[in-house]
Amino acid sequence: MTIESRLDALAANNPQDDPSVAEPLPPKGDVVFDVRDLSVYYGEFRAIRDVTMQIERHHITAFIGPSGCGKTTILRCFNRMNDLIESARVEGSLTYHGVDLYDRAVNPAEVRRRIGMVFQKPNPFPKSIFDNVAYGPRLAGAKKTDLGDIVERSLRRAALWDEVKDRLKSSAMGMSGGQQQRLCIARALATDPEVILMDEPCSALDPIATGRIEDLMGEIKAEYTIVIVTHNMQQAARVSDRCAFFTTEVNERSDVRTGTLVEYDRTEKMFANPSDERTESYVTGRFG
Amino acid sequence: MRSNFTTELEQLRLQVEVMAVRVDQNLERMRMVIDRCGSELVAVSLSADDEIDAMNVSLTERCYDLLRREAPVAADLRFVVSVLRVLSELERIGDLALRVIKLDPEFDLLTTNPVTYGILVDMANHVVDQYREALRAWATLDLGLATDLATKTRSMDLYYERLTTELVRLDGPNAVRLAMGTFAAGRSLERIGDHAAIIGARLRYLLTGDPEHLIAEVR
Repeated sequence: MTIESRLDALAANNPQDDPSVAEPLPPKGDVVFDVRDLSVYYGEFRAIRDVTMQIERHHITAFIGPSGCGKTTILRCFNRMNDLIESARVEGSLTYHGVDLYDRAVNPAEVRRRIGMVFQKPNPFPKSIFDNVAYGPRLAGAKKTDLGDIVERSLRRAALWDEVKDRLKSSAMGMSGGQQQRLCIARALATDPEVILMDEPCSALDPIATGRIEDLMGEIKAEYTIVIVTHNMQQAARVSDRCAFFTTEVNERSDVRTGTLVEYDRTEKMFANPSDERTESYVTGRFG
Repeated sequence: MRSNFTTELEQLRLQVEVMAVRVDQNLERMRMVIDRCGSELVAVSLSADDEIDAMNVSLTERCYDLLRREAPVAADLRFVVSVLRVLSELERIGDLALRVIKLDPEFDLLTTNPVTYGILVDMANHVVDQYREALRAWATLDLGLATDLATKTRSMDLYYERLTTELVRLDGPNAVRLAMGTFAAGRSLERIGDHAAIIGARLRYLLTGDPEHLIAEVR
């Protein structure tokens, strides 16, 4: 059985199709990513060290922390986006439903299909709204006759259908920033991923558009697992179920800064009564 | 660093302390009325209570402003919401003290029964001590003092039970008036004890973040 078909069986939560899985996969609410002692290097520079955490299914997990603490670096490990940086390498273990994401046999393109990403600034292709959403499914070999349904379903899930259904052939570049970001979410959803990674998805949006994206996250989390990097503490408090606080440690002798995970807990706890003083100082705005 | 915000929180804490001292002054006047060692205290107490009410409004508005402007979280959030609760408790304690002070004309009668009057004096002394401990705990943010307050309330409950037991035994031509006046004073003193205990519970929540302490606030 190939890694891809094993991932298929795992993502479908159908372990009997996968003889290599001894135990049935845990049901909804269980671990999607299991991160153990993960360190990320850019050449000799260790950007973040020894991260251990589990990302749970159908939860929204927020990564918070000061600039340069490695939040985005860790996020990009979850769909191997760091592979695109030549000097980047990963140590430790990162499994997706028990499958080592960094196994040589794993196809990064397949990983990115299952684990979609939405970036800080909306980045629609200079194509029509329809073609933006259909782009991923086309690459994956979807039938032309199915594309219409896929596009409509994705736009509906991204709460954009009613606004664009009469102008699907119009350029995506003419949409507002908030609409473009929801289009990017629709584009990510079109490949039917299980996980959506969001890297500061609202930082370029106004409060109304931000509210829509946040509402959307709440609506789709029943079907998807979401991991979001945000600098907006209130956003993390509003939308996430669990929250991870990262910070930067400075080696006084070499002045080298390395990101580290300080605390990972229920969001309610992180913002009401964090266990670590550094988290308390950060969320209350006294440091960072 | 949000140094201005930190300074504002500190100022807020001190202002709450100032309001608590005003309440303490009225509690002392209440004790003087009960001890029959002060005269014409009603007018000055009413005026002091107006000041307490005004401080309550002003500090509550300041808390709302901080919540709106600073969106505090963690210890800061617990502090601001705790201040809101403590302000409300102080205002109620002030009202209850005033209620006893307003019974001043009745106390000539209430002193005629040494047993029930003696219990009232003990309750007043006990509750003023309890309140001052709450005030000290707030001023020093002392978890030990705040924890001790929980046990003091039980003593007030025992006093109150003794008082009600004695009241049902009253007879004679002034029994009803005496019982009503004594009961009104005793009830207010017992409630002051409850409110002081809530300040302790809220302080324990503020210092530990443990929501279990909020259960003590349920009346």
